Amino acid sequence: MDVFGSFALVLAFICAVYAFGGGIAAIVTRHPLLIKSARQAGIATCVLIFLATFSLEYLFFSDNFSAAYVVSHSNRDLSTFYKIAALWSGQEGSLLFWSFLLAIYVFSVLVTYRNKNGELMPYVGVVLAGVQIFFLTLNNFVESPFKALASPGADGVMHLVARTDGNGLTPLLQYPEMVIHPPNLYSGYTGFTIPFAFALGALLARYPGEKWIHLTRKWTMIAWMFQSMGILLGAHWAYAVLGWGGYWGWDPVENASLLPWLSGTAFLHSVMMQEKRGMMKVWNVWLVFITFLLCILGTFLTRSGVVSSVHAFANSAIGNWFVGFIGIILLVCFGAYFKNRDYLKSENQLDSIVSRESSFLFNNLILLVACVAVLSGTLFPVFSEWFTGNRISVGAPFFNKVNIPIGLLLLFLTGVGPLLAWRKTSTESLKRNFGWPLGIGVAAGAIAFAFGFRQLYSWVCLILCVFVASTVLLEFYRGAKVIRARSGAWFVASALELTMRNTRRYGGYIVHMGMVFVFIGLAGAAFNRDVQKDMRQGDSLKIGPYTLVLQGFDTKPEKNYTAQRLLVEVLQDNKPTMMLYPEKRRFTTTEENGTMVAIRSTLQEDLYVVFAGTSPDTGLPVLHAYLNPLVKWIWLGGVVVVFGTLVALLPNRRAVLVLSGAQQPAAAAQPLAHGLAPTVTMREGHD
Amino acid sequence: MTKARPITAIALLVMFAITPLLITPVGAQQLSDRAKHIGGKFMCMCGCSQVLTECNHVGCTTSASMLKELNVALAQGDSEDAITQMFVQEFGTKVYAEPPKSGFSLVAWVLPSAYLFLGTGVVIFVIFRWRKQAAQATGPASRAPGISPEQLERARAQVSRETED
Repeated sequence: MDVFGSFALVLAFICAVYAFGGGIAAIVTRHPLLIKSARQAGIATCVLIFLATFSLEYLFFSDNFSAAYVVSHSNRDLSTFYKIAALWSGQEGSLLFWSFLLAIYVFSVLVTYRNKNGELMPYVGVVLAGVQIFFLTLNNFVESPFKALASPGADGVMHLVARTDGNGLTPLLQYPEMVIHPPNLYSGYTGFTIPFAFALGALLARYPGEKWIHLTRKWTMIAWMFQSMGILLGAHWAYAVLGWGGYWGWDPVENASLLPWLSGTAFLHSVMMQEKRGMMKVWNVWLVFITFLLCILGTFLTRSGVVSSVHAFANSAIGNWFVGFIGIILLVCFGAYFKNRDYLKSENQLDSIVSRESSFLFNNLILLVACVAVLSGTLFPVFSEWFTGNRISVGAPFFNKVNIPIGLLLLFLTGVGPLLAWRKTSTESLKRNFGWPLGIGVAAGAIAFAFGFRQLYSWVCLILCVFVASTVLLEFYRGAKVIRARSGAWFVASALELTMRNTRRYGGYIVHMGMVFVFIGLAGAAFNRDVQKDMRQGDSLKIGPYTLVLQGFDTKPEKNYTAQRLLVEVLQDNKPTMMLYPEKRRFTTTEENGTMVAIRSTLQEDLYVVFAGTSPDTGLPVLHAYLNPLVKWIWLGGVVVVFGTLVALLPNRRAVLVLSGAQQPAAAAQPLAHGLAPTVTMREGHD
Repeated sequence: MTKARPITAIALLVMFAITPLLITPVGAQQLSDRAKHIGGKFMCMCGCSQVLTECNHVGCTTSASMLKELNVALAQGDSEDAITQMFVQEFGTKVYAEPPKSGFSLVAWVLPSAYLFLGTGVVIFVIFRWRKQAAQATGPASRAPGISPEQLERARAQVSRETED
């Protein structure tokens, strides 16, 4: 099967080269057969990558230890669930997994648009094939996952080695979150290839109008959704497993995942300017180029060893390949832009500073400032070493000081932006839209201050969260009220109808509400407390309203590891509430340690208990307890963000034309689809 | 009044005596809090890229030994500067959790503000340029004959209302 997989990868590379070269020839000659064959070669590339990936998984499931990769990342005792995750646990497998996810997107695009957009798709196919060629080059010639296990003999010649068992999976990856975090994150990274291909393709083809944006909007939202899920799942894994009490350490690899998310978010917003007003064409094209480049840069940082991180793969020479690829992309993007920049002429006019257009400009500014600040902070250790010879670290204190004010600005814009009108917002509209939310936000701040809330950033964050939440709820309320008045339906049904008539807008509002929840959770970090103690059986430890009593200690052998557990009774206000079982795990094959945190999570706070090892001084188990307020809001916010994105992806329910001006009873409303000449142009719903 | 005085005195003495039981041992807690505060200014040197007090490397022995050194130094009464010098001599400048605000390191602090000011300047410039273009586009020559600015504004408002999404 390893030979089969290896062969499939080589064939995939050949097909990708044909899809690229044949695609270019098809564009030049416009020969229909060439166009079709290039497209089919692209589809074949994807199918062959699927086969190669399934072959590698088969090697894991069949415990085939003739493959070096399987030996390094699996063993017989590893559960089936983790044998799936073993695919992406190492450099070679994760690169193949990247190709696999990219192939899913490419396959979907090539099949979906096989009979549509004939002028654009050949260009898109060429760009996608070009990206696939790069990753297939790595899969085949640099980091092959199908290398046979071999070692040099006494004669200096490599001989195949027979192993009956493997080394097992890295303990840190043997957690459920680790099975789902990389697929989500990689789906985000690879997904941004699609809007990049369409943007570059449209630029090269000088494709008229904004259709490329309509075509790619859903793919961009899907990629953004996966990137968001990947980031939050990674944060949750760090929180639940690593046992340091936090969820985001501004690690270089964490930052690498945040960068394309920030620029992708900017793109999702500024693209509306182009759709509605034909503005910011150059900016949008470069924004999607930058987002894709940041995805490649992100994986370069993770794999090259340029920056040190607990998340990074082992150092390898693969970094040079990524630098070369980034260079090629930049050359192609600059070349395409300078050759075709006249095609991007925008209708850039602004009637008023107080308008949605301005708010989008500032939104983009803040997101890009955050992106560049995180990038320069992440790379500063490298630059400092280049310039001064000394490597200067840039850790969490720097990123928090820089990004908290930027984040609060962004939160403010989240509330303000959607309520400004296109072109110009009147003073009456400002008062109507912002009066109540501002008042409610300020009132919330005053109440919090009166109750002793004194942490400045958290206090400002609270005010802004209440402000933004109020603006969102007010929008739903106003729109649902109008529908209810016309249809007589219940309020909730009216709100649902409202949402389904404009899923993009109201799905976006739900996403904003999810971000509010996330910010509420982040604000709680200012009030974290922790305490640590060496504990004998029967000893207690007090934190906040909780008393933790160590009732005992036991050992639980599992298939792949042995867990040492503390049996901790939790009393709240002196009443027994529950038991918690923080663990230390010793993995059999690798002899490495892992932790499993015990968490009691409510919306108000998390009681987070870690078995922090054995004290070298007393020989007693060390219990480290944290009280982390509001953390659950972060995960809840993530769920709301994903839900909002899914809503925004739904097609609009067919809108009903309502004649303007006169008071029309509901029965007089006419559906647009029946040939009635509209007096109002509907701008949503095209795809 | 005569009986109240001894009772009051005894009550005060008792309150004074039990106060240490009610308040967390300030000395020990301050040492622990101070250790956390100072420890938060250094990186763990195990390669995890995390702050010393938040090392997420499972089973890290480096952070344990660094924290022990820190506690010993604090117990000896060393100042924060002396502790900083001790770690820098041992590990180099990469032990700082954030770049010092001097020399080349100042660049790291200046850059985000520079991006923000530069970006804001660009946005303001773009806004004014677009407004100028809009003003030129809605100048007298571009208006249809016979339509007053008020009528045009009313029509625009109606379009906005009817096409608002």
